[in-house]
Amino acid sequence: MLAVDLAGETIRALNGSMVAYDGQMAFKRQGMTGGEGLRGALKRRIAGEGMTLMEVTGQGTVFLASEATEVTLVQLNGDTLFVESESLLALDGDLKTGVHFVGLRGMGTGQGLATTKVEGHGVAAILSHGPAIGLEVTPQTPLCVDPHAYVGHLGQLQQDVVTDVNWRTVLGQGSGESVQFRYQGHGLVYVQPAEREGILEI
Amino acid sequence: MPGYQSINSKMLQVPVAPGQEVYSRRGAMLAYTGSVSFAPSATAGQGIGGTLGRAVAGERTVMMHVTGHGTAMFGHAGLHVEVVHLSGDTLYVEADRLLVHDASLQVGTMFMGEQGGVRGVIRGAVSGQGLFTTTLSGHGSCALLSHGGVMELPISPQRPVHVDPQAYVAHRGEVQNKLTTAMGLRDMVGRGAGEGFQLQLSGSGVVYVQASERKI
Repeated sequence: MLAVDLAGETIRALNGSMVAYDGQMAFKRQGMTGGEGLRGALKRRIAGEGMTLMEVTGQGTVFLASEATEVTLVQLNGDTLFVESESLLALDGDLKTGVHFVGLRGMGTGQGLATTKVEGHGVAAILSHGPAIGLEVTPQTPLCVDPHAYVGHLGQLQQDVVTDVNWRTVLGQGSGESVQFRYQGHGLVYVQPAEREGILEI
Repeated sequence: MPGYQSINSKMLQVPVAPGQEVYSRRGAMLAYTGSVSFAPSATAGQGIGGTLGRAVAGERTVMMHVTGHGTAMFGHAGLHVEVVHLSGDTLYVEADRLLVHDASLQVGTMFMGEQGGVRGVIRGAVSGQGLFTTTLSGHGSCALLSHGGVMELPISPQRPVHVDPQAYVAHRGEVQNKLTTAMGLRDMVGRGAGEGFQLQLSGSGVVYVQASERKI
Protein backbone atom coordinates (compact mmCIF):
# COMPACT_ATOMS: atom_id res chain seq x y z
CA MET A 1 0.00 0.00 0.00
CA LEU A 2 1.17 3.50 -0.79
CA ALA A 3 0.41 6.68 1.15
CA VAL A 4 0.77 9.99 -0.66
CA ASP A 5 0.66 13.32 1.18
CA LEU A 6 -0.72 16.05 -0.98
CA ALA A 7 -0.82 19.77 -0.37
CA GLY A 8 -2.52 21.05 -3.44
CA GLU A 9 -0.34 19.12 -5.88
CA THR A 10 -1.57 16.73 -8.53
CA ILE A 11 -0.47 13.15 -8.98
CA ARG A 12 -1.57 10.57 -11.50
CA ALA A 13 -2.66 7.14 -10.30
CA LEU A 14 -4.13 3.95 -11.70
CA ASN A 15 -7.87 4.29 -12.19
CA GLY A 16 -9.79 2.98 -9.18
CA SER A 17 -6.72 2.37 -7.02
CA MET A 18 -7.75 4.63 -4.11
CA VAL A 19 -8.55 2.64 -0.97
CA ALA A 20 -8.89 5.47 1.53
CA TYR A 21 -8.18 9.15 2.04
CA ASP A 22 -8.58 11.92 4.53
CA GLY A 23 -8.83 15.60 3.86
CA GLN A 24 -10.24 16.95 0.64
CA MET A 25 -9.57 15.03 -2.53
CA ALA A 26 -10.88 15.20 -6.05
CA PHE A 27 -10.56 12.34 -8.51
CA LYS A 28 -10.78 12.95 -12.20
CA ARG A 29 -10.19 10.50 -14.97
CA GLN A 30 -7.68 11.62 -17.49
CA GLY A 31 -8.88 12.46 -20.92
CA MET A 32 -8.48 10.17 -23.90
CA THR A 33 -4.99 11.42 -24.56
CA GLY A 34 -3.71 11.04 -21.00
CA GLY A 35 -1.50 14.07 -21.28
CA GLU A 36 0.42 12.57 -24.15
CA GLY A 37 -1.14 14.51 -26.96
CA LEU A 38 -3.14 13.15 -29.84
CA ARG A 39 -0.17 11.42 -31.39
CA GLY A 40 0.75 9.72 -28.11
CA ALA A 41 -2.79 8.49 -27.64
CA LEU A 42 -2.85 7.05 -31.15
CA LYS A 43 0.46 5.28 -30.60
CA ARG A 44 -0.82 3.86 -27.36
CA ARG A 45 -3.97 2.62 -29.05
CA ILE A 46 -2.03 0.91 -31.82
CA ALA A 47 0.42 -0.62 -29.38
CA GLY A 48 -2.33 -2.04 -27.21
CA GLU A 49 -0.50 -0.59 -24.23
CA GLY A 50 -3.71 0.55 -22.61
CA MET A 51 -3.41 2.66 -19.52
CA THR A 52 -6.12 4.40 -17.57
CA LEU A 53 -4.94 6.92 -15.09
CA MET A 54 -6.81 9.37 -12.93
CA GLU A 55 -5.70 12.70 -11.60
CA VAL A 56 -5.78 13.11 -7.84
CA THR A 57 -5.70 16.63 -6.45
CA GLY A 58 -6.28 17.93 -2.96
CA GLN A 59 -5.13 18.48 0.59
CA GLY A 60 -4.49 15.49 2.82
CA THR A 61 -3.32 11.91 2.54
CA VAL A 62 -4.49 9.45 -0.08
CA PHE A 63 -3.86 5.70 0.18
CA LEU A 64 -3.42 3.74 -3.03
CA ALA A 65 -3.29 -0.02 -3.54
CA SER A 66 -4.15 -2.58 -6.17
CA GLU A 67 -4.94 -6.27 -5.71
CA ALA A 68 -2.65 -6.63 -2.70
CA THR A 69 0.48 -6.29 -4.82
CA GLU A 70 3.73 -4.85 -3.50
CA VAL A 71 4.71 -1.26 -4.24
CA THR A 72 8.23 -0.08 -5.08
CA LEU A 73 9.14 3.58 -5.35
CA VAL A 74 11.49 4.68 -8.09
CA GLN A 75 13.14 8.09 -7.96
CA LEU A 76 13.73 9.61 -11.37
CA ASN A 77 16.23 12.41 -11.89
CA GLY A 78 15.89 13.17 -15.53
CA ASP A 79 16.33 9.55 -16.60
CA THR A 80 13.81 7.21 -18.18
CA LEU A 81 11.99 4.30 -16.60
CA PHE A 82 10.58 1.59 -18.85
CA VAL A 83 7.71 -0.32 -17.28
CA GLU A 84 4.64 -2.26 -18.34
CA SER A 85 1.55 -0.08 -18.23
CA GLU A 86 -0.24 -2.48 -15.89
CA SER A 87 2.64 -2.28 -13.41
CA LEU A 88 2.32 1.46 -12.94
CA LEU A 89 0.44 2.53 -9.79
CA ALA A 90 1.12 6.24 -9.43
CA LEU A 91 3.43 8.97 -10.60
CA ASP A 92 4.15 12.59 -9.87
CA GLY A 93 2.26 15.10 -11.93
CA ASP A 94 5.52 16.40 -13.39
CA LEU A 95 6.51 13.09 -14.96
CA LYS A 96 5.80 12.49 -18.62
CA THR A 97 4.61 9.18 -20.01
CA GLY A 98 4.92 7.77 -23.47
CA VAL A 99 4.96 4.57 -25.47
CA HIS A 100 8.14 2.82 -26.47
CA PHE A 101 8.12 0.07 -29.09
CA VAL A 102 10.06 -3.00 -28.08
CA GLY A 103 9.58 -4.85 -31.31
CA LEU A 104 8.70 -8.44 -31.95
CA ARG A 105 10.65 -9.80 -29.03
CA GLY A 106 7.90 -8.67 -26.71
CA MET A 107 5.65 -11.24 -28.33
CA GLY A 108 5.09 -14.45 -26.52
CA THR A 109 6.42 -13.14 -23.27
CA GLY A 110 3.14 -11.59 -22.32
CA GLN A 111 4.63 -8.13 -22.67
CA GLY A 112 3.13 -7.09 -25.93
CA LEU A 113 4.82 -5.04 -28.58
CA ALA A 114 5.29 -1.90 -26.61
CA THR A 115 6.09 -0.73 -23.15
CA THR A 116 5.44 2.49 -21.30
CA LYS A 117 8.21 4.95 -20.61
CA VAL A 118 8.19 7.46 -17.80
CA GLU A 119 10.61 10.37 -17.84
CA GLY A 120 11.35 13.56 -15.95
CA HIS A 121 12.05 14.45 -12.35
CA GLY A 122 9.93 12.87 -9.63
CA VAL A 123 8.80 9.63 -8.08
CA ALA A 124 6.96 6.76 -9.75
CA ALA A 125 5.37 3.84 -7.89
CA ILE A 126 5.46 0.46 -9.61
CA LEU A 127 3.52 -2.69 -8.75
CA SER A 128 4.91 -6.20 -8.49
CA HIS A 129 3.70 -9.57 -7.31
CA GLY A 130 5.91 -10.00 -4.27
CA PRO A 131 8.59 -7.45 -3.39
CA ALA A 132 10.58 -6.30 -6.42
CA ILE A 133 14.36 -6.10 -6.28
CA GLY A 134 16.50 -3.73 -8.31
CA LEU A 135 19.45 -5.54 -9.92
CA GLU A 136 22.32 -3.39 -11.05
CA VAL A 137 23.76 -3.76 -14.54
CA THR A 138 27.23 -2.53 -15.45
CA PRO A 139 29.15 -2.99 -18.73
CA GLN A 140 31.19 -5.73 -17.05
CA THR A 141 28.19 -7.60 -15.71
CA PRO A 142 25.34 -8.02 -18.14
CA LEU A 143 22.18 -9.41 -16.61
CA CYS A 144 19.76 -12.05 -17.88
CA VAL A 145 16.21 -12.11 -16.53
CA ASP A 146 13.16 -14.25 -17.11
CA PRO A 147 10.76 -12.20 -19.28
CA HIS A 148 7.86 -13.19 -17.03
CA ALA A 149 9.60 -11.90 -13.90
CA TYR A 150 10.71 -8.63 -15.49
CA VAL A 151 8.93 -5.57 -14.10
CA GLY A 152 10.79 -2.55 -15.46
CA HIS A 153 14.19 -1.05 -16.08
CA LEU A 154 15.97 2.24 -15.68
CA GLY A 155 19.00 3.74 -17.36
CA GLN A 156 21.03 3.25 -20.51
CA LEU A 157 20.38 -0.37 -21.27
CA GLN A 158 20.32 -2.43 -24.43
CA GLN A 159 17.85 -5.25 -24.38
CA ASP A 160 18.17 -8.42 -26.42
CA VAL A 161 16.73 -11.86 -26.27
CA VAL A 162 18.72 -14.98 -25.53
CA THR A 163 17.18 -18.23 -26.61
CA ASP A 164 18.14 -21.71 -25.65
CA VAL A 165 15.60 -23.69 -27.61
CA ASN A 166 16.58 -27.23 -28.48
CA TRP A 167 14.78 -30.47 -29.33
CA ARG A 168 13.82 -30.96 -25.69
CA THR A 169 11.87 -27.70 -25.65
CA VAL A 170 10.09 -28.70 -28.83
CA LEU A 171 9.07 -31.97 -27.23
CA GLY A 172 7.73 -30.11 -24.22
CA GLN A 173 10.55 -31.32 -22.00
CA GLY A 174 12.30 -27.97 -21.62
CA SER A 175 13.52 -26.53 -18.37
CA GLY A 176 11.06 -23.66 -18.68
CA GLU A 177 13.91 -21.19 -19.05
CA SER A 178 14.40 -21.19 -22.80
CA VAL A 179 14.02 -17.49 -23.40
CA GLN A 180 15.69 -14.76 -21.40
CA PHE A 181 16.16 -11.03 -21.71
CA ARG A 182 19.76 -9.89 -21.56
CA TYR A 183 20.54 -6.34 -20.48
CA GLN A 184 23.82 -4.62 -21.18
CA GLY A 185 24.99 -1.16 -20.28
CA HIS A 186 24.45 0.94 -17.19
CA GLY A 187 21.25 0.79 -15.21
CA LEU A 188 18.91 -1.01 -12.92
CA VAL A 189 16.48 -3.83 -13.73
CA TYR A 190 13.50 -4.53 -11.47
CA VAL A 191 12.59 -8.19 -11.04
CA GLN A 192 9.65 -9.67 -9.15
CA PRO A 193 9.61 -13.06 -7.38
CA ALA A 194 6.71 -14.32 -9.48
CA GLU A 195 6.25 -15.18 -13.12
CA ARG A 196 3.27 -13.73 -14.88
CA GLU A 197 1.28 -15.67 -17.42
CA GLY A 198 2.54 -15.47 -20.97
CA ILE A 199 1.12 -16.48 -24.29
CA LEU A 200 3.74 -19.17 -24.73
CA GLU A 201 4.96 -21.61 -22.16
CA ILE A 202 8.65 -21.00 -22.58
CA MET B 1 -8.41 -14.87 27.54
CA PRO B 2 -6.54 -16.87 24.91
CA GLY B 3 -3.37 -15.27 23.65
CA TYR B 4 -3.45 -15.14 19.86
CA GLN B 5 -0.04 -15.58 18.36
CA SER B 6 0.81 -14.85 14.74
CA ILE B 7 3.06 -17.47 13.16
CA ASN B 8 3.42 -15.38 10.06
CA SER B 9 1.24 -12.77 8.42
CA LYS B 10 -1.20 -15.40 7.18
CA MET B 11 -1.31 -17.98 9.98
CA LEU B 12 -2.50 -17.66 13.52
CA GLN B 13 -1.94 -19.90 16.52
CA VAL B 14 -4.56 -19.92 19.23
CA PRO B 15 -4.28 -21.76 22.54
CA VAL B 16 -7.48 -23.50 23.57
CA ALA B 17 -8.32 -24.66 27.09
CA PRO B 18 -11.50 -25.24 29.10
CA GLY B 19 -12.91 -21.79 29.66
CA GLN B 20 -10.82 -20.43 26.79
CA GLU B 21 -12.87 -21.57 23.88
CA VAL B 22 -13.04 -19.89 20.53
CA TYR B 23 -15.32 -19.82 17.51
CA SER B 24 -13.68 -20.04 14.11
CA ARG B 25 -14.71 -19.95 10.50
CA ARG B 26 -15.64 -23.47 9.47
CA GLY B 27 -12.84 -25.29 7.71
CA ALA B 28 -10.21 -22.72 8.60
CA MET B 29 -8.25 -25.03 10.92
CA LEU B 30 -4.83 -25.89 9.51
CA ALA B 31 -3.29 -27.95 12.30
CA TYR B 32 -3.63 -28.57 15.99
CA THR B 33 -1.79 -30.14 18.88
CA GLY B 34 -3.33 -31.64 21.99
CA SER B 35 -6.91 -32.80 22.20
CA VAL B 36 -8.94 -30.19 20.42
CA SER B 37 -12.37 -30.85 19.01
CA PHE B 38 -14.33 -28.92 16.44
CA ALA B 39 -18.09 -28.85 16.43
CA PRO B 40 -20.15 -27.08 13.81
CA SER B 41 -22.11 -24.37 15.44
CA ALA B 42 -25.17 -22.97 13.82
CA THR B 43 -25.79 -20.51 16.57
CA ALA B 44 -22.24 -19.15 16.97
CA GLY B 45 -23.04 -18.26 20.57
CA GLN B 46 -25.95 -16.05 19.62
CA GLY B 47 -28.92 -18.07 20.77
CA ILE B 48 -31.91 -19.07 18.69
CA GLY B 49 -33.17 -15.55 18.15
CA GLY B 50 -29.86 -14.31 16.92
CA THR B 51 -29.45 -17.29 14.64
CA LEU B 52 -32.81 -16.66 13.04
CA GLY B 53 -31.87 -13.04 12.63
CA ARG B 54 -28.66 -13.98 10.92
CA ALA B 55 -30.31 -16.48 8.64
CA VAL B 56 -32.81 -13.87 7.56
CA ALA B 57 -30.07 -11.30 7.18
CA GLY B 58 -27.93 -13.52 4.99
CA GLU B 59 -25.07 -12.51 7.25
CA ARG B 60 -24.22 -16.11 7.93
CA THR B 61 -20.85 -17.69 7.65
CA VAL B 62 -20.95 -21.03 9.37
CA MET B 63 -18.71 -20.99 12.38
CA MET B 64 -17.40 -23.88 14.43
CA HIS B 65 -16.90 -24.16 18.16
CA VAL B 66 -13.36 -25.10 19.10
CA THR B 67 -13.01 -26.75 22.49
CA GLY B 68 -10.55 -28.97 24.31
CA HIS B 69 -7.02 -28.49 25.49
CA GLY B 70 -4.14 -27.61 23.18
CA THR B 71 -3.31 -25.20 20.39
CA ALA B 72 -4.96 -24.81 17.03
CA MET B 73 -3.66 -23.03 13.95
CA PHE B 74 -5.91 -21.14 11.59
CA GLY B 75 -5.61 -19.64 8.15
CA HIS B 76 -7.78 -19.22 5.10
CA ALA B 77 -7.04 -19.01 1.37
CA GLY B 78 -3.68 -17.34 1.87
CA LEU B 79 -5.32 -14.19 3.15
CA HIS B 80 -3.65 -11.93 5.67
CA VAL B 81 -4.76 -12.29 9.27
CA GLU B 82 -5.01 -9.31 11.60
CA VAL B 83 -5.63 -9.71 15.33
CA VAL B 84 -7.87 -7.15 16.98
CA HIS B 85 -8.23 -6.86 20.76
CA LEU B 86 -11.48 -5.61 22.17
CA SER B 87 -11.79 -4.19 25.64
CA GLY B 88 -15.41 -3.33 26.10
CA ASP B 89 -15.91 -1.64 22.74
CA THR B 90 -17.72 -2.89 19.67
CA LEU B 91 -16.26 -3.99 16.37
CA TYR B 92 -18.37 -3.88 13.21
CA VAL B 93 -17.23 -6.42 10.65
CA GLU B 94 -18.58 -8.46 7.75
CA ALA B 95 -19.25 -12.06 8.78
CA ASP B 96 -17.12 -13.54 6.03
CA ARG B 97 -14.10 -11.52 7.16
CA LEU B 98 -14.10 -13.10 10.61
CA LEU B 99 -11.57 -15.91 11.03
CA VAL B 100 -11.54 -16.57 14.77
CA HIS B 101 -13.07 -14.90 17.79
CA ASP B 102 -13.15 -15.62 21.50
CA ALA B 103 -16.23 -17.34 22.82
CA SER B 104 -16.34 -14.63 25.48
CA LEU B 105 -17.28 -12.01 22.90
CA GLN B 106 -20.92 -11.28 22.25
CA VAL B 107 -21.88 -11.64 18.62
CA GLY B 108 -24.76 -9.71 17.18
CA THR B 109 -26.21 -8.68 13.89
CA MET B 110 -26.89 -5.08 13.16
CA PHE B 111 -29.30 -3.84 10.58
CA MET B 112 -27.64 -1.18 8.48
CA GLY B 113 -30.80 0.86 8.69
CA GLU B 114 -30.00 1.51 12.35
CA GLN B 115 -27.17 3.69 11.18
CA GLY B 116 -28.50 6.18 8.78
CA GLY B 117 -32.00 4.88 8.10
CA VAL B 118 -32.92 4.43 4.47
CA ARG B 119 -29.58 5.81 3.42
CA GLY B 120 -27.89 3.05 5.38
CA VAL B 121 -29.88 0.45 3.50
CA ILE B 122 -28.93 1.96 0.17
CA ARG B 123 -25.33 2.14 1.27
CA GLY B 124 -25.26 -1.54 2.16
CA ALA B 125 -26.81 -2.49 -1.14
CA VAL B 126 -24.53 -0.32 -3.25
CA SER B 127 -21.29 -1.16 -1.52
CA GLY B 128 -21.94 -4.89 -1.68
CA GLN B 129 -21.87 -5.14 2.07
CA GLY B 130 -25.39 -6.35 2.39
CA LEU B 131 -27.99 -4.88 4.63
CA PHE B 132 -26.62 -6.40 7.81
CA THR B 133 -23.28 -6.47 9.47
CA THR B 134 -21.89 -8.46 12.37
CA THR B 135 -20.99 -6.84 15.66
CA LEU B 136 -18.58 -8.18 18.24
CA SER B 137 -18.54 -6.68 21.69
CA GLY B 138 -17.09 -7.39 25.11
CA HIS B 139 -13.60 -8.26 26.20
CA GLY B 140 -11.46 -10.54 24.09
CA SER B 141 -9.72 -10.93 20.79
CA CYS B 142 -10.70 -11.72 17.25
CA ALA B 143 -8.88 -12.18 13.97
CA LEU B 144 -9.89 -10.60 10.67
CA LEU B 145 -9.14 -11.76 7.13
CA SER B 146 -7.97 -9.35 4.49
CA HIS B 147 -6.46 -9.44 1.05
CA GLY B 148 -3.04 -7.87 1.23
CA GLY B 149 -2.96 -6.87 4.87
CA VAL B 150 -4.83 -4.13 6.67
CA MET B 151 -3.97 -0.64 7.75
CA GLU B 152 -5.51 1.07 10.75
CA LEU B 153 -6.68 4.59 10.08
CA PRO B 154 -7.68 6.67 13.07
CA ILE B 155 -10.82 8.76 12.76
CA SER B 156 -11.34 11.90 14.78
CA PRO B 157 -14.13 14.49 14.64
CA GLN B 158 -11.73 16.94 12.97
CA ARG B 159 -10.48 14.35 10.55
CA PRO B 160 -13.10 12.25 8.79
CA VAL B 161 -11.79 9.47 6.57
CA HIS B 162 -13.08 8.38 3.18
CA VAL B 163 -12.73 4.72 2.24
CA ASP B 164 -13.38 2.79 -0.95
CA PRO B 165 -16.31 0.48 -0.04
CA GLN B 166 -14.53 -2.52 -1.54
CA ALA B 167 -11.39 -1.90 0.51
CA TYR B 168 -13.29 -1.45 3.78
CA VAL B 169 -12.78 -4.32 6.24
CA ALA B 170 -14.12 -3.28 9.64
CA HIS B 171 -14.45 -0.38 12.01
CA ARG B 172 -14.74 0.24 15.74
CA GLY B 173 -15.66 3.08 18.02
CA GLU B 174 -18.30 5.78 17.82
CA VAL B 175 -18.33 6.10 14.10
CA GLN B 176 -21.06 7.34 11.79
CA ASN B 177 -20.80 6.20 8.23
CA LYS B 178 -22.51 7.39 5.15
CA LEU B 179 -22.10 6.80 1.49
CA THR B 180 -20.96 9.78 -0.50
CA THR B 181 -21.07 9.87 -4.22
CA ALA B 182 -18.83 11.80 -6.49
CA MET B 183 -20.74 10.83 -9.58
CA GLY B 184 -20.38 13.17 -12.45
CA LEU B 185 -21.24 13.23 -16.09
CA ARG B 186 -18.04 11.31 -16.80
CA ASP B 187 -19.17 8.35 -14.69
CA MET B 188 -22.46 8.17 -16.53
CA VAL B 189 -20.71 7.71 -19.83
CA GLY B 190 -18.28 5.16 -18.44
CA ARG B 191 -15.30 7.44 -18.19
CA GLY B 192 -15.19 7.87 -14.43
CA ALA B 193 -12.16 7.77 -12.22
CA GLY B 194 -13.38 4.50 -10.71
CA GLU B 195 -14.01 6.24 -7.41
CA GLY B 196 -17.68 7.04 -7.78
CA PHE B 197 -18.72 5.82 -4.34
CA GLN B 198 -16.91 6.47 -1.12
CA LEU B 199 -17.72 5.55 2.43
CA GLN B 200 -17.37 8.57 4.66
CA LEU B 201 -16.55 7.70 8.27
CA SER B 202 -16.75 10.40 10.89
CA GLY B 203 -16.72 10.49 14.69
CA SER B 204 -13.97 8.92 16.73
CA GLY B 205 -12.64 5.44 16.26
CA VAL B 206 -10.57 3.31 13.94
CA VAL B 207 -11.27 1.93 10.47
CA TYR B 208 -9.45 -1.06 9.02
CA VAL B 209 -8.66 -0.83 5.32
CA GLN B 210 -7.16 -3.55 3.14
CA ALA B 211 -4.64 -3.09 0.34
CA SER B 212 -6.93 -4.47 -2.32
CA GLU B 213 -10.37 -3.98 -3.74
CA ARG B 214 -11.24 -7.67 -3.71
CA LYS B 215 -14.08 -9.11 -1.66
CA ILE B 216 -13.62 -12.46 0.07
